[in-house]
Amino acid sequence: MRDTPAFGSGTLALHAIVLMIVCIAEMIGVLRLPIGIAAIILLPMLYAFAMGIALNPNITRATGRFLTPGVQKFAGGMITIAITPFVAKFGTTVGPQIQPIIDAGPALILQEIGNLGTIVVAFPIAVFLLGMGRETVGAVYSIDREPNLALIAEKYGLDSPEGAGVMGVYATGTLIGTFVFALMPPLIHALGVFDIRALAMSCGVGSGSMLAACTGALVTLIPEQKDLILGLAGASNVLTYATGLYVGMFVALPLTEWLFRKARPELYKLG
Amino acid sequence: MSKTAENLPLGNEELDERRIRVGETAILLLIACVIGTISNYVSTGIGAFEALPGMAILYVCSVIGLMLARFVPFYLPAVAWVSLIAIIATIPGVPGSEWVVEQADKINFLSLATPALAYGGLALSAKEFAIARKSGWKIVIVAICVMLGTYLGSVVIADLALRFF
Repeated sequence: MRDTPAFGSGTLALHAIVLMIVCIAEMIGVLRLPIGIAAIILLPMLYAFAMGIALNPNITRATGRFLTPGVQKFAGGMITIAITPFVAKFGTTVGPQIQPIIDAGPALILQEIGNLGTIVVAFPIAVFLLGMGRETVGAVYSIDREPNLALIAEKYGLDSPEGAGVMGVYATGTLIGTFVFALMPPLIHALGVFDIRALAMSCGVGSGSMLAACTGALVTLIPEQKDLILGLAGASNVLTYATGLYVGMFVALPLTEWLFRKARPELYKLG
Repeated sequence: MSKTAENLPLGNEELDERRIRVGETAILLLIACVIGTISNYVSTGIGAFEALPGMAILYVCSVIGLMLARFVPFYLPAVAWVSLIAIIATIPGVPGSEWVVEQADKINFLSLATPALAYGGLALSAKEFAIARKSGWKIVIVAICVMLGTYLGSVVIADLALRFF
């Protein structure tokens, strides 16, 4: 039910603007700003996203003439399409590294459970520090990307408190997720306690842009390990694609809801 | 999920990729690959002619993956299929894998993510800005904790597992 045709002047303008943004972003290239023993890594995709927001018709009125809401909706679909060749490229880095990946097999499989760390870190902060209500369940059960959003939509509806929670973290994650995943790994690496293979395979959280930012930062930091970093991250990301929805459905969401009912039983009394 | 679908900022077709139109998607993928090739040229200096086999490989993996997601009768996201095909094509011993790896190496992975993020910035709707604004600072803190927790949880378990096994 899309009101804008996929091939028209509006979408043509969209592709042209994207091409211009991409050229500028790639010309600036990767920047590395050292801070003490750690470093902040700035990637072209971050500039591209920032430029996209700056030119977004909700920020800059002038672009609204070409970028109608219909074209913007089309742009949303183009994200999925444009990330697909990137995902394929990531797949091609896995095959050649298949031996080190098999060697790290147990770690690779077990770290999928580590994605439940979101509950460990975010649940207590949301419930006990920020005093949030049932929004917590939707907000903290997963990294809140598209499949997780769909799961909450189906189970609670997006107009429920749980839906508001998942939508809030989804929208915020869309706005700042790439930045967080570009900045976080170098800082954690600077602690000096974790194996680079662990840092690499944890990049596979099931979001293309977060995977790109995370591995981009690590590869800039340790270019000589590039093939290994990409291979492990790619393998882990495929595992998350395959298992993420099911882990969310059968483990993470029931667990989060159970924890929340224990923490705030009064919120369920009224039925 | 008809009652809830209309509230989604993304629209239903992004969440349910089984409904995608394969022909239209194949052409849009081509546009994405052209932009990706230019992006790759600006960042690496590798020209379109030299990058062509590599981009063609990524394009073919993408199209086959999308079609498998559309027609295989159990749920696996299209990106998972795309990855699996690319992985199988590059495993040592698979016929032609060396050539595939050699060609794909000419494409910088970061250059392919840049266009997607540009579309992403332009796609943000008034509603998404409104949700982020309305949710307030608490949700920002929770979102950062969610990302930190997901990443750090995996790092700690992976690191321990690498030490023990």
